[in-house]
Amino acid sequence: MVKQAVTISVNGTEHPIQVDAADRLIDVLRDQLNLKSVKEGCSTGDCGICAVVVDGKLVNSCLMLAAQCDGRRVATLEGLLEDPTMKRMQGSFIANNAAQCGFCTPAMLMAAWDLARHSPEPSNEEIKVAISGILCRCTGYYQIIDSVREGCGRGGR
Amino acid sequence: MSVLELYSPTDLNDALRFIEHDHRNLAIIASGTDLLPRMRRRQVSPSILVDISSFTEDLRYIRQSDGTIRLGALTTVTDLLDSPMFYGKLSIIREAAKLFGAPQVRNVATVGGNVCSAASSEDLIPVFMALDANLKLVSAGGNRTIPLKDFIVGKRKTAMKPSEMLAEVSFSPPGERGWTAYEKLGRRNMLILAMVNEALSLTLENDLHTIRTARVALNRVSGKIPALAVKTSDFLEGKRVTDQTIAQAQKVLASELSLTSDFRGSGEYRTEVAQVYLKRLMERCTRQIGGGS
Repeated sequence: MVKQAVTISVNGTEHPIQVDAADRLIDVLRDQLNLKSVKEGCSTGDCGICAVVVDGKLVNSCLMLAAQCDGRRVATLEGLLEDPTMKRMQGSFIANNAAQCGFCTPAMLMAAWDLARHSPEPSNEEIKVAISGILCRCTGYYQIIDSVREGCGRGGR
Repeated sequence: MSVLELYSPTDLNDALRFIEHDHRNLAIIASGTDLLPRMRRRQVSPSILVDISSFTEDLRYIRQSDGTIRLGALTTVTDLLDSPMFYGKLSIIREAAKLFGAPQVRNVATVGGNVCSAASSEDLIPVFMALDANLKLVSAGGNRTIPLKDFIVGKRKTAMKPSEMLAEVSFSPPGERGWTAYEKLGRRNMLILAMVNEALSLTLENDLHTIRTARVALNRVSGKIPALAVKTSDFLEGKRVTDQTIAQAQKVLASELSLTSDFRGSGEYRTEVAQVYLKRLMERCTRQIGGGS
């Protein structure tokens, strides 16, 4: 395997790293940068719990090669802990008991944060679409939908 | 995954020169949402990937000129949803894009990747087929245009040569007294691969009763291959839109389909749904055009 040098901006810091052609973004985030909020579930794009934001778009990090992220900006939950929108969203998730086993929670928060940036007062239908790519294995969707609605601002705390 | 190498060409010409001369087991990668899971399942094992994802300046666009709509191969499904172009007669594109994969997949999955995968799971193929879409293939030796219906020659098999790459999908919206419609059935509403995926483009004659052109396309017609339902489409043309015509067309469709069963659904059930959808699509299009009886 030939290693390739890439520079990926993760949570605001430039990381020059060596990657194999087969390394996916999730491999680099978890194994090289120790960002464990990014979970590996199905590895085939069906469950979405590896969701991160790349260049402003929510994507599945298991479906993206690290080498293709050269020069791109990646945001994970770890980098958003002080972000006001994310703080409000996390508070809302806690207040509404939106986390059961917690496995999907980081990805749900990323999807919710992405929605909140574009749509401050989403309808339930918009919320359902926004989180439709993330599988909650506990099926606790109602608490999540309530949390996202409140976290987005309407009726927010 | 056992990828040996990733080649990142400097520009499109570099990529075309590369695929013309490199004869290893090569795969072109855009977003990889279809390719990477298939590599992981070892359904394909390329030894080199050619990354075209950075050619957005050349290949990511939605343009309209002389009544033809042109989509660059790297146009994402989210781009289709964000475009003001796909309302009214072309809302079929929006309908399909809305039910396509998940938001995270739509954000990166490309029109070109969907078409080149040539599988029954690719939601945009029946839609483009119903619109009689043409494909522009580019290579170092020159370009050619091929109808989508001739491009897909088997399950995940296309008429594209190893030295060629898909650059553009083009189609015209239905003309006067024309409309399009789309239906998709999966085991749930979202984040699901289709069991049945059916698209119709219909135009009526001046009398608003007689069918001028009909194009019915499905994700599976024979086996697992997306195709036009040619017999059903031909049957409809020239007929008057009546309940009887639709009932007959449903029978023609049932005889034309030869569907196999898998974990997503049985062949019998798919055939049943395809017939129900044909009626629904005919009614939706006719109502929009303001015709029928």
